[in-house]
Amino acid sequence: MKKPDGKVVLLGDMNVGKTSLLHRYMERRFQDTLSTVGGAFYLKQWGPYHISVWDTAGREQFHGLGSMYCRGAAAVILTYDVNNLQSLTELEDRFLALTDSASADCIFAIVGNKVDLTDECALQPEAEDENRSEKPVTSCISTKVQKQVRMDDAIALYKKILKYRMLDEKDVPAAEKMCFETSAKTGYKDLLWHLQECLGLLFVLCHQGHLGSLKAHNHPDLLQIERKATLWTPRKIS
Amino acid sequence: MIITTLTMRTRDPIGPHSRLPGLSGAESWQAHAHGARPCAIAGTRTWGRGLRRTRGRGGYMGGSSRASRPAPALRAPPDRSMGGFHPTPWRRHRPFRCPSRGRAGASHVTGNGAAPSGSSDSGPGRRGQALRRRRGAGGPELRGSRVSGAAETGSGGGPETSAWAAPADWPRGIMSVKAFRLVPAVEREMLMGDKVRINIECIECCGKNLYIGTNDCFIYHFLLEEKISATGKITFAATKQLYKHLGFKKAVNELKAASALNRLLVLCDNTMTLVHMMNLEPVPSGARIKGAVTFTLNENPVSGDPFCVEVCIISVKRRTIQIFMVYEDRVQIVKEVLTPEQPCAVAVDGHYLCLALTTQYIILNYNTGNFQDLFPYCSDEKRPIVKRIGRQEFLLAGPGGLGMFATVDGISQRAPVHWSENVIGAALCFPYVVALDDEFITVHSMLDQQQKQTLPFKEGHILQDFEGKVIVATDKGIYILVPFPLERQIQDLLASHRVEEALVLAKGARRNIPKEKFQVMYKRILQQAGFIQFAQLQFLEAKELFRSGQLDVRELISLYPFLLPTSSSFIRSHPPLHEYADLNQLTQGDQEKMTKCKQFLMSYLNEVRSTEVANGYKEDIDTALLKLYAEANHESLLDLLVSENFCLLTDSAVWLEKHKKYFALGLLYHYNSQDAAALQLWVKIVNGDVQDPTRSDLYEYIVDFLTFCSDQELVWKYAEWVLLKNEEVGVQIFTKRPLEEQQKNTFNPDDVIRCLNKYPKSLVKYLEHLVLDSKIEKEKYHTHLAVLYLDETLRLKSVATDSCAELNGVQTKLRSLLQKSDLYRVHFILEKIKGTDLHMENAILYGKLEEHDKALHILVHELKDFPAAEDYCMWSSESKNLAYRQRLFHMLLSVYLNPGPSDCELVVAAVDLLNNHAAEFDAAQVLQLVPDNWSLQLLSPFLTGAMRQSIHTKRMTQIALGLAEAENFIYKHEKAKLKGRSIILSDKKLCQVCQSPFCEPAFVRYPNGGMVHTHCAANNRLVNANMTHRFSSPSSQT
Repeated sequence: MKKPDGKVVLLGDMNVGKTSLLHRYMERRFQDTLSTVGGAFYLKQWGPYHISVWDTAGREQFHGLGSMYCRGAAAVILTYDVNNLQSLTELEDRFLALTDSASADCIFAIVGNKVDLTDECALQPEAEDENRSEKPVTSCISTKVQKQVRMDDAIALYKKILKYRMLDEKDVPAAEKMCFETSAKTGYKDLLWHLQECLGLLFVLCHQGHLGSLKAHNHPDLLQIERKATLWTPRKIS
Repeated sequence: MIITTLTMRTRDPIGPHSRLPGLSGAESWQAHAHGARPCAIAGTRTWGRGLRRTRGRGGYMGGSSRASRPAPALRAPPDRSMGGFHPTPWRRHRPFRCPSRGRAGASHVTGNGAAPSGSSDSGPGRRGQALRRRRGAGGPELRGSRVSGAAETGSGGGPETSAWAAPADWPRGIMSVKAFRLVPAVEREMLMGDKVRINIECIECCGKNLYIGTNDCFIYHFLLEEKISATGKITFAATKQLYKHLGFKKAVNELKAASALNRLLVLCDNTMTLVHMMNLEPVPSGARIKGAVTFTLNENPVSGDPFCVEVCIISVKRRTIQIFMVYEDRVQIVKEVLTPEQPCAVAVDGHYLCLALTTQYIILNYNTGNFQDLFPYCSDEKRPIVKRIGRQEFLLAGPGGLGMFATVDGISQRAPVHWSENVIGAALCFPYVVALDDEFITVHSMLDQQQKQTLPFKEGHILQDFEGKVIVATDKGIYILVPFPLERQIQDLLASHRVEEALVLAKGARRNIPKEKFQVMYKRILQQAGFIQFAQLQFLEAKELFRSGQLDVRELISLYPFLLPTSSSFIRSHPPLHEYADLNQLTQGDQEKMTKCKQFLMSYLNEVRSTEVANGYKEDIDTALLKLYAEANHESLLDLLVSENFCLLTDSAVWLEKHKKYFALGLLYHYNSQDAAALQLWVKIVNGDVQDPTRSDLYEYIVDFLTFCSDQELVWKYAEWVLLKNEEVGVQIFTKRPLEEQQKNTFNPDDVIRCLNKYPKSLVKYLEHLVLDSKIEKEKYHTHLAVLYLDETLRLKSVATDSCAELNGVQTKLRSLLQKSDLYRVHFILEKIKGTDLHMENAILYGKLEEHDKALHILVHELKDFPAAEDYCMWSSESKNLAYRQRLFHMLLSVYLNPGPSDCELVVAAVDLLNNHAAEFDAAQVLQLVPDNWSLQLLSPFLTGAMRQSIHTKRMTQIALGLAEAENFIYKHEKAKLKGRSIILSDKKLCQVCQSPFCEPAFVRYPNGGMVHTHCAANNRLVNANMTHRFSSPSSQT
C-alpha cells in the first residue's frame, strides 16, 4: 500500500452524516449507511498526492479512538447536523479535544449536513419519497423543519477553534470559506469536492511544512490556492 | 467415535471424499466430518458432544456459505455422486441431533428470521453490509445471528442436502473466501491420554519443532511433519520427541524458541529459564530471569547481534518493564522502564514497546522513555491483545470488538477490523488477520478489513502465528490453520464474481510470491476479472483490466461467434479465463446486450490494433474488426480498408459478401492487389447487377481509381466502359494520370486517340490535354485539335442561333489555339476555313503565314474591327523586334489610309492609332504618309508623343554614352594603378640594350618591365619601330 501523503479526518457526533458525506464524495451518490464501527478510510488522489480520508465513528463507544485517528491529520472536518443544535455543541465539547494530536498547522472545516431537511433549503431534494429519513434520529420524515443551527453559529465555533488552537485568524483560511452547509443526500454543494478544489494543495503543503516558506516568498502556488479559495464563497441560503 | 478415525486420518493423506466409497455407514460420515468440518473435530470426544456439534457444523457451512447458498440443482451432483450411500448415516444420526440442539437450536430460529437472507447476498458490497448489520447489532445478538446464518442452510435446505452443501473442497463459486482450513496437529491422547485435569497452557512452534507447555509443568516436544495428499490437501503428523517436567507444581506459562541460540525460553513460576531446544535440559550456567509476569521476544531488535535475543518482560515489580539480552548461557539486563500504569500485555518492535496498561494502550520508546497514548480501553472488562503484525505496526483489541491497527507513531494506517467483543487471541497470516473468540475463528483481510471467513471453534484459548503458521489450541488439542493457496482463494473470489476483493487479494500477495510467478498469476487474474466485468457489461472496467492484464485480444474475440478467421491458430488458454462458450451464452440471446458487446469490441479492437498488444496477431484483430464493422454497417469499415490493415482476404471477402458490402469488398481486393477483381465488382455495382449504396459517386470513384491505376491493361479494359458511361468524365483516366507516369509516357497518345475516336468530346479533351497542358509539340495533335475545334465551330454555327455561349466558347478556344500554336498546318486549316465566315480565324492564319497585309485587310475591311487589328499588330509582333512591330503598325496605318481620306471611319481609326501608339511609329515616315489636309491639332497627341519619344531616345542614348565613357575611364584608371609600381634602381640593374649600369636617375621602362637608358631607348626606337607602342613614362627614382 502506498503511504498516504496527508490525512483528512471527519469528526462529528453520531448520525450527523459523516459516512454519507464521504460516500457522496467518493461515489457521487447518496447511499444508506449503517452506523460506522470504529472507523473507515479511503485513499484519494489529489493531484500528485495520496490523501487518506478517515471516516470516524461518532458513537460514544468509539470516542477514545478519535485521538489516534486525528494524529498527524492535515485537515479536520467537523461535521454537525443543521437540524440538531446539540450536534454542533458536541463538536466543541467532545471532539475539539481530539484534535490535539492533529498536525500543528492542521486546517479546520465545519460542515453542517442535512440542509435538504430544512425549509430553508434553496434546492429541492432529488426525490420526495416518504422514507427519506437518512438517519433514524432525524425527527422529520415528510415535513421540513426550521433549521436549528445557523451559519453564524458555525462561524463562531470556527473562531473558537482558532482560539483553542492558538492560531491567528490571519494565518488560516477565513471562517466564511471554511464553514459550509451541505447535504449528502441531495448532493447540494459537495463539500469534499469543494475542499479538494479549494484546499487540496493547501492541505498537502501545510502537511509538508511548505506553507510558511511559500507565504514568505509569495509563491504563485499559494496565490493560486488563495484565488481558488476566494472563488468559492459560500452561497447564502435564502 | 471421532477419536478412532482421527488417528487414522492424520496418517492417511488421502482426502475423506476419496475414501468414502471404501467406508461404510457411520464411519464414512465421520470421515467426512473431519475433512469438511474441522469444528466437528474440535474437542469432540463423545458421541453426545459430537452430535451436538452438528449444529456447529451447520454453523461452519453457514458462516462461510453465507454469500450464496447453493441452489438445489447445484447440490444435486454430489448427492448423485455419492449415490444412496451417504444419506443413510446422516439419517441415522439425525434423531439424535435434533434434541441435542436444545436452547441453541431455538435461538437459531429467531436469529434466522432476523438475519438478512444470506442466499441473495452475492455481491461483495452487500455481503459486507450484511456483515456489518449483524455486527452492528453487537453483543449477544451477534452470536445468535451468526449462528443463525449457520443454521440457515440446515433449516432451509433440509438435512440431507445441507450435509453436502459446502464441503471444504466443494467447487468454487458457492462459498465466500475460504482462506483457511483447520487441520488437527496434536491430539489429546498424544499429550495427556485420559488425564482430565491436564491442559495445554502454551505452545511454541519453530520449524518442525512443536513445544507444548502444560498446566502440570511439563514441556512436550513434537516433530511436526507436513504431508500433502494426492489431492493437494495438507495434513500433519506429529511425533512425540521428548517431554520433561520442570520440577514445579506451577503451569508452564510461556514458551519461546530462540533457534539461533538453540534455546527454548521457558516461563514458569514467574521465572524465565533457558533449556536446550533438543534435549530440553537446562543450560549448565543456570541463567534465568526472575520476577517475570510475561515476556516477549523482539522480532525486530535494534542490535544486530546474532548471538543473542532481546527479551522484554513485564516485571513483578509494579509498573516495570525490563529489557534483557539473552545469550546462549547467560542473560543481561539492558534497560528498565517505568510505565505510567501497570502493564498487562506487551509487544515490541525496535525500540518501541506497545503496551496494554490498565486503562489504555500506549506506545513507549524504551530508549528515550517517550510515550504516546493510543486509545483508552478497560482491562477489567476484557483481556487486552497486543500483537506485532509487522515492521512498526501493531494490532490491538479496541473497544466494541475492534481490532485496531497502530503504528509506532501512534497512527492508524488501516481501518479497524470488527471482531466480536470477546476476542481471546489474534494472529497474522498475510493478508489475513485471524482472531479467536470462544466460539469462532474469524478471518479478516488486512487489505480491505472485511470479514472473509468464519470457522466455528469452541473452547479455543490459544491462537498464535509462528513463522507464518497459524496454530490454534484448545485445552486439549492443537490444530493448524492451513491457508488455502492464495491463487485458489483468488479463483474462488473470481468465480463468485467478487472482482474487487480478488484483485485486492492478488495485489496484496505481491510481496509473498516470487516476482515472475506473481506477474504471470496477476496478469491472469486481471484477465479473468476483465471477463467478469465484461460479462456484466462493465466495459470501462473490463477494458482497463484487459489492458493491464495484457490480454491476448483473441481471447476476447473468440467469444464472438465467427469473428476469428478460420485460419487462426488461436486456442483459448487453458484453464479457461471465463466460463462462457460464446457471446450468445453470455448474453443469453439478448440482442441489445449483444449489440453493446459488439460495440465494445469494436472500440476496443480499434484502440489496440495499433498498439503492441496486437503484435503477432494483427490479422486476427483486423479481420474481426472488419467483420464487426461490416455487420454493424459502421462507417469506419472503409477507413479500415483504405488504411494499412491486415484483414485476411478469404475470410473477410466471404463476410463482406454476406453483408453485401461490395464496395468495401472491392477495397479489400484492391488492398490485396487484386485491382481487377475490385473493378469488376464496382462496375457491377454501377451497372446495378449488385446492390450496395455505400457510394453514390462510385462511377467517379472508378474513374479516379483507373486514373491512378498503374495497370495499363486494366485501364484499357475498362476504358470503353468508362467512356460509354460519361465521355467527359471518363476521359480523365487518360488526361489526369499522375505526373510521374506521364513523364514515362506509358500510354501512347496515338493509341489513346485511336481509342477515343468514337468519343469526340473525350477526344477534344484528350487533345487539349496533350496540346495545352502537356505542351506536346507535335504537328499532328495541334492540327487535329485545330480541325476538331474548327469542325465544332462550323457545326455549331450551322445549327445554333447567334451568340450561343457554346459557340463562343469553342471559337475562343480555336482562336487562341491558332494564335498561340505555331505547329499546326496553316495551309491545311486555311483551306478548310476558306469559304466560311470565320474572318478572324482567317486573319490569324494569314498572320501565321506572315501575310500581314491580307490579314489586316480582312480585319479592317471585312470585320471593321479596329481594336482587333491593333491587337493583331501587338500579338503578331510579340516575340519579334521593334522594327518588326513598327513595320506592322505602318502596314496597318497604310491600310487605314490607302482607300483615301474619303472613308471617314478609317481616318478616325488611323488618327486614333497614331495618337494611341505614338511610340510604335517612325514619326518621320508617318509624316510623309499623313495627308496634308490633316490639322496639326488632330495629330498633336501623336506629335507630342513622337517628339517626346524622340527626345527621350536621344537623351537616353546620351546618358548611355556618358556612362560607357565613365566606365571606360574607371577601367583605365585601374589599369594604370596596377602597372604603376615603384622601381628600385641600383648598381646591379643593367640596361637591357647596352648591358651597362644606370649612372643617372632617368631611365625608360617598357610595358613588359624591361628598363633601358633613355639614350638607348631613343636609339632602340629607331631600330625597332614596332616597339613604339605605349610604354610607361619614365617613372622616377629609388
